[in-house]
Amino acid sequence: MAILEVRDIKKSFGNIEVLKGISFDMEKGQAVSILGSSGSGKTTLLRCLNFLETPDNGKISVNGTILFDGDQQNLSDTELSKRRLHFGMVFQQFNLFPQYTALENVTLAPLLNDKSRNRQDIIDDGKLLLDKMGLSDRMGNYPHQLSGGQQQRVAIARALALKPDILCFDEPTSALDPELTGEVLKVIRELASQHTTMIIVTHEISFARNVSDEVIFMDGGVIVEKGSPEQVIDNPKSDRTRQFLSNVHSSK
Amino acid sequence: MFITVTLSLLNGFLETLKLFSLTLLFALPLGLIISFGSMSKSPVIRLPIRFIIWVIRGTPLMLQLLVIFYGPGIFFGKNIWGSGTSGRFSAALVAFVINYACYFSEIFRGGIQSIPKGQYEAAAVLGLSKTQTFFRIILLQVVKRIVPPISNEVITLVKDTSLARVIAFYEIIWEGERFIKSAGIIWPLFYTGAFYLMFSGLLTLLFGYIEKKLDFFK
Repeated sequence: MAILEVRDIKKSFGNIEVLKGISFDMEKGQAVSILGSSGSGKTTLLRCLNFLETPDNGKISVNGTILFDGDQQNLSDTELSKRRLHFGMVFQQFNLFPQYTALENVTLAPLLNDKSRNRQDIIDDGKLLLDKMGLSDRMGNYPHQLSGGQQQRVAIARALALKPDILCFDEPTSALDPELTGEVLKVIRELASQHTTMIIVTHEISFARNVSDEVIFMDGGVIVEKGSPEQVIDNPKSDRTRQFLSNVHSSK
Repeated sequence: MFITVTLSLLNGFLETLKLFSLTLLFALPLGLIISFGSMSKSPVIRLPIRFIIWVIRGTPLMLQLLVIFYGPGIFFGKNIWGSGTSGRFSAALVAFVINYACYFSEIFRGGIQSIPKGQYEAAAVLGLSKTQTFFRIILLQVVKRIVPPISNEVITLVKDTSLARVIAFYEIIWEGERFIKSAGIIWPLFYTGAFYLMFSGLLTLLFGYIEKKLDFFK
């Protein structure tokens, strides 16, 4: 059974229809990359999954449980928070909390809201996650003392600390110096090799090719093409996909 | 004579300090509440609050003191403040709290609105409630940003307390002025400046310390 089912998601901002009916499934343990030019709606789709935007229409289910159904839009805050936890989110701009250390950023949310684990467990778990991110010597540092790549790796650990069913990345390397993208991509690649279920919105075509099980190409608020990386990136069927890929390649 | 004057001025300065500290105690939290009102999505809340802020910031504090002290008696035929010293103090306190809460609210609003949207979104996707987000994530960042403008306002407040003498509140300048009539000397009035200077010096040091304490993050 699919871990995530998305059906006919629509979203408009004013008169502009950004998502015109998006449907797709993904399996547990898969990494799905979403490609597309700016304004294609890929970030909005990710934000809809995380309830940062409320879709106008459609259905989202995780593990067979319906999280969003076009009809019921007025959720209470607590209910919304609970449903959000199925998804983790890593932002383009990291959005770490500046007044907390790397470790505190990772442990803050579970310490506040996860009553099923004790304090020491959560802290040990946070340390383990930062260690996995290659940041064992940075746990006590504040965000402003870390490089962009390190900050993004803390953000990834922070998202993982809540053990989400699906981890979402919104252009995780777009705000980084070219030199620093490698260390973040490496971490994501490792997560993929451990079969973390992930949706990655990215502009890094070659990264998407070798990290993902499936690639979705979006344009103008619809899914134009979806399939294995070999299909979509190496042998695109649609003209729009071909055009996008050749523009990206020629600009490199 | 010097000792007599000093003691008498100290007495007045204690009244000044009382007005100063109670104003801060009430105006800071009230200012925070007003700032939420002035940012409310509902115009029924937002517009009246913006109007009040406009009136309070747009008229002299001295005038507000007079209106608050004499207004109830003139307009409603009822002097709610009583005739004694404590009544005048209460009226002065109410005027100062309203005035300063409005100024503080604008500083809070600026501080709160300067926090990037990404902080709220990061907190939201981590499942934090609105209350948790405000108190655990936003508040300290706001405090850090508003310490310099708040310190400015607080130091202004030290000196503004002298306005309360228009409703015969016996603060330090009132005490200093008394010596002109009673002893024919003017230097005690000038001497009050030393008290203000010393106290604002202390506050400057205190706010410098707070700023430094909050320097651990950016």
